[in-house]
Amino acid sequence: MQVLVVLAHPKGDSYNHAIAARASNALRLTGHTVHLLDLYALGFGAAMTSDERTAYHLDTPILDPLVREHADLVRAAEALVFVYPTWWSGQPAVLKGWLERVLVPGVGFRFDEQGKVRPGLTQVRHMIGISTYGSPWRYVKLVNDNGRRTLMRTIRMNTGLRTSTHWLGLYAIDTSTVDERERFLTRVERRMRAL
Amino acid sequence: MRVHVVHCHPHPDSFVAAARDRVLAGLAAAGHEVRLLDLYADGFVPELSAWEREHHLDDPSNKPDIATYAADLQWCEALVLVYPTWFSGQPAMLKGWIDRVWVQGVAYDLPEGSNTIRPRLRSIRRIVAVTTHGSPKWVNVLQGEGGKRVAFRSLRLLCSRRARSTWLALYGIDHADHGQRTAFLDRVEQRMARLR
Repeated sequence: MQVLVVLAHPKGDSYNHAIAARASNALRLTGHTVHLLDLYALGFGAAMTSDERTAYHLDTPILDPLVREHADLVRAAEALVFVYPTWWSGQPAVLKGWLERVLVPGVGFRFDEQGKVRPGLTQVRHMIGISTYGSPWRYVKLVNDNGRRTLMRTIRMNTGLRTSTHWLGLYAIDTSTVDERERFLTRVERRMRAL
Repeated sequence: MRVHVVHCHPHPDSFVAAARDRVLAGLAAAGHEVRLLDLYADGFVPELSAWEREHHLDDPSNKPDIATYAADLQWCEALVLVYPTWFSGQPAMLKGWIDRVWVQGVAYDLPEGSNTIRPRLRSIRRIVAVTTHGSPKWVNVLQGEGGKRVAFRSLRLLCSRRARSTWLALYGIDHADHGQRTAFLDRVEQRMARLR
């Protein structure tokens, strides 16, 4: 299976990088083909530009070669894995911007003749979100865990009907122990092997 | 009242920009003192850097890049966010403003050894979102209304305990006719003129 892992954390030595590495290795060992996109390392720009906004409803909404490369990887992906720290109950701007700039009409979805949104990610069979949270689980639920909903509902609506979703969260990371973080990595690994 | 308007849209002549102008007109009519931040026009950098991540618990006085943004946020009594809803939330540009400006020492304190933040923006008593959605309301409800909850839960929890929220949204803008758009703009201006 073709798996696209999208990682968003500014620090190359972050725990999120460790998660992405463990997830990618586990997937490769299981025989999957993995592409890992480290958005910060690639210098991916978060903000949709004025020209991109103009092109959004035209036939060729993609202008940036890096975005085009990523869009091609999305079109080929049978599984999408997102790895990021949850900030303000959502994706870091870089990852939110990646969704906005890459999953444009013709990639993430399409408009039908009536202008209604139709799924574009029908080849995606699995969607996995892996996120670390500063807040404890209860606080995350109180504020609605918005990043999770963006991926598992909003983006999920653009996949096929039978696409499976999995969420792996490590909560209250600031007060977590080494042991808890290690156990979480093992959990990530096990989940990836079971895909 | 001191009002901070944060505007986010890549096109200076967008419908959202028209909504912002009506926000400003309404606030001016009510005699409020306004500071406007136009993130795109300002060339705001939305990516939180490795250095900022490294120093995210430092005193904000060591972060000159965000000093004026932070000062405006701490100055205001009402915060008005004007943006298009994309993938059920704030555009990355606006999310980046939240990521980079709502930091320790500005928006909250994180006491040593705790994992629960303590609010610092108690002077903000109104939070307003003016936004457009391509899809109809029921789709947004199914999606969990992430953008609304980021504004009215995640952010509002750092404001005054009695902070009130106002949601002004135009749903289904892709299919809205001229009359619906005009009515929305009128509603925005009237609502802002009544802001207390």
